[in-house]
Amino acid sequence: MSHIPGIHSAGMRAFLMRTCLADHLAPSVARAAAEVLRRAGVQVRVPAGQTCCGQPAWSIGLPDEARPVARRALRAFAGPEPVVVPSGSCAAMVRHGYPELFRGTPDEPQAVEMAQRTVELSQFMHSHGLEPQAVAGGSVTYHDSCHMLRILGERDSPRAVLAGVEGLELREMEATEVCCGFGGSFSVGFPEVSGKLGEDKARHAAATGADELIACDLSCLLHITGRARRTGIPLRARHLAELLAG
Amino acid sequence: MSADRPVSYPDVAGTLRQRTREAVADAELVGNLRASADAWAAGRTRMEEQHAFAAMRERARQIRTDAVGRLPELLRRLESEVRAAGGHVYFAADGAAACAYVVEVALARGARLVAKSKSMATEEIKLNEALEEAGLRVVETDLGEWILQLAGQHPSHIIAPAVHLNRGQVADLFAAESGRPVPREREALVAHARGRLREVFASADIGVSGVNLAVAETGTLCVVENEGNCRLVTALPPVHVAVMGMERIVAGWDEAAHLLEVLPMAAIGDDAATYVNLITGPRRAGEQDGPEELHLVILDGGRSALRGTEFEEVLNCIRCGACLYSCPVWRSVGGQAYASPYSGPIGAVLTPLLEGPTSPSAELPFLSSLCGSCDDACPVGIPLHDLLVRARARVRPPQRRRERAAFRVWSHLWRGRVGYWASRVAARVGLRLLGRRGWVHRLPGPGAAWTSQRDLPSRWPPT
Amino acid sequence: MAADLAAELIAALERRRGSGAAVAAERAAAEAAAHVAGVGAERAVLADDAWLRGLGLAEALSDGGVEVLWWPTGHDVRELLGLDGPEATVGITVPVAAAAERGTLVLAAGAGHGRAIDVASMHHLALLPAERLVRSLAAALDTVYGRGGVAPSAVSLVSGPSRTSDIEKISTLGAHGALDLHVIVVERGGGSEDP
Repeated sequence: MSHIPGIHSAGMRAFLMRTCLADHLAPSVARAAAEVLRRAGVQVRVPAGQTCCGQPAWSIGLPDEARPVARRALRAFAGPEPVVVPSGSCAAMVRHGYPELFRGTPDEPQAVEMAQRTVELSQFMHSHGLEPQAVAGGSVTYHDSCHMLRILGERDSPRAVLAGVEGLELREMEATEVCCGFGGSFSVGFPEVSGKLGEDKARHAAATGADELIACDLSCLLHITGRARRTGIPLRARHLAELLAG
Repeated sequence: MSADRPVSYPDVAGTLRQRTREAVADAELVGNLRASADAWAAGRTRMEEQHAFAAMRERARQIRTDAVGRLPELLRRLESEVRAAGGHVYFAADGAAACAYVVEVALARGARLVAKSKSMATEEIKLNEALEEAGLRVVETDLGEWILQLAGQHPSHIIAPAVHLNRGQVADLFAAESGRPVPREREALVAHARGRLREVFASADIGVSGVNLAVAETGTLCVVENEGNCRLVTALPPVHVAVMGMERIVAGWDEAAHLLEVLPMAAIGDDAATYVNLITGPRRAGEQDGPEELHLVILDGGRSALRGTEFEEVLNCIRCGACLYSCPVWRSVGGQAYASPYSGPIGAVLTPLLEGPTSPSAELPFLSSLCGSCDDACPVGIPLHDLLVRARARVRPPQRRRERAAFRVWSHLWRGRVGYWASRVAARVGLRLLGRRGWVHRLPGPGAAWTSQRDLPSRWPPT
Repeated sequence: MAADLAAELIAALERRRGSGAAVAAERAAAEAAAHVAGVGAERAVLADDAWLRGLGLAEALSDGGVEVLWWPTGHDVRELLGLDGPEATVGITVPVAAAAERGTLVLAAGAGHGRAIDVASMHHLALLPAERLVRSLAAALDTVYGRGGVAPSAVSLVSGPSRTSDIEKISTLGAHGALDLHVIVVERGGGSEDP
């Protein structure tokens, strides 16, 4: 991906969407994302009024419940700067879901506009040629999260960013394009199926012999590491932003 | 709970969650499913290497979209062409009307034995049961469907209905049916079925088939297959009854030729099916074979109500089964857990839409991780991911009432800073209280389902 | 051009475990009779086609001890299916067109050409005049439906021997139709009229 419509490198200012999952379970991910961007020379704004993109309600078929929460995001991220998200899934929600969520409402133009300037973190870095400026020894394996891969169509950016980390080896796992089984409400609605898919993913990741599992989505990582821990599969994991922040 | 138009199988026990739990724990089933999905994926990769699949898919999407847009006009043309060729046409508003018509045809002929080839539409309307209730003997002649008939089971896949069974299980069923031991080699099993079913082709009074595609301009029905049973069922008995979903139509032969190429590529990873039977009316003067009577039953069954809605694209489906094989959930539980003839992503969208608002299948759209691999697999570009999300919004299963109530509270809390802040504090405090050496092993309330399968890191990154 | 198409057709059929050969018209009957002997058929059911009659195939088969039945045979369904009479039958068809690209024969039913000849028989042998080869399926279907006449009551596209993948998703031959398919592409038109 060389150019994302609506994003211009001039000025190099950006909003950071922390994501609700990081806020609640792993604040280090959002902090790391901010650090990585700053180190790359980006002026980062982290709006204090942000909460969640609204995806949890949207994806289980409750658009009326999702809309007020998403509207808050529209207000919090109003402005010309790109919105950078350390989550392929939240970025996909805004880019792909917002135009439909707000269709026919007064907020539709703003939703479409925000969708156009919202990008996932590694996409932002890769499309602007930002160097990670990170050094890390050892090896990692990368998990293609579904919304990143199939809704954003993004396979290359995270790999390009990882390739820019000095001294790091990427070991691809088997069946990397197959879902880890998280799936939001699916993980608790059909936990046995979700758990089995997570276990398969954890085994594939561990089988690479890489030092740790890296992904651009915290949700998948919580699920995969949690299932690995429960089933005794040794697996370390971090978000891409955390790896880059060092 | 009853549906306006039952599509789900009424005899399936347990809740959806229970069925998925049992299926995922069945190692033999999961192994059978995985082998079949791997074989499909290898074929699909081959097709993408040998053909310009992306371009073919876009053209297929346009053809289907155009046909669904012109549906009333195309159906009128089809009806007049089939009649002109000497066939009968019956428009059935629902499954009950379709079954009643076929039963009437059978009784009028004094029929006793019905030979069937595989048809999803007849599974949808439960035609076998209707014919059996009227005193007829019905024999499925597609190998997979016959195996299931012997097993007393429902199909698990649109194209490969018995894919959840292995050769040993099949041999046991054949031995029970014929009363003699049957070797377990695949070739011997196929030869055994060939021998047993030939008597059925020879003596059937009526042949019942589905329709993969109807071509309006000539009134031709396309029936696609690999085994040869569809040809025998449509050529030998004195009456042929074809049952088609009303959307399975294209205007002309250019469009039909393209879809007939795309269908086997998507369904079986081959660039042609073995047989495509193109039927234009019954036997004509001077011909020695072919049915004396041809009846085309065109089934609405809730389809026309989907036109012009946000679900219209489900009508583009050509029933290839690719989205099933591509789906990690289907590969984990198989089709039978869905309790509908239509399983996998397309079934999870289509079944509740056909059944109507009070359907027992209202939970099906939730049986998906929304991973989107079905979008990639679909040869006519149906946006299944988005349709699953929309279907969740349209059908409101009673099982999820509490979840909806919880999300109303969530929506109020997270639309403001204070509520969101309180929620974060609660999470931080909760994790600290419940965490043991960095992990939570048991969450209370709605979180219990999470920790039934996984631990939760109370510190991130986990150690 | 026709030779290329014949090779393409045969290669595509071979991918589905069919077989084929391209021969000159003078050799077609001998080639066909040799194939029938090779599969061990005792009875041949032939599409009644002027061009096929002109090849001298019936004589070659009779010489080899194979019973020859021209369509319509007047036999009942049980004989066609091999339930009564000899089980080892070969259906001999004359496609009206063939699509080389994907290996598809187009059989059109009519008074002289039963719609079940190939499928009811144990073996299937098709004799195809080379001029009827086209590249794509669309072009092949156009020869049947695109010329404004009355569509045949039944057209069968045949792209290989009968098979099933219903057991363990592994393709196995000989489900209900012919156990094998052999096509003889007959070059230079066979010296007779070409319908």
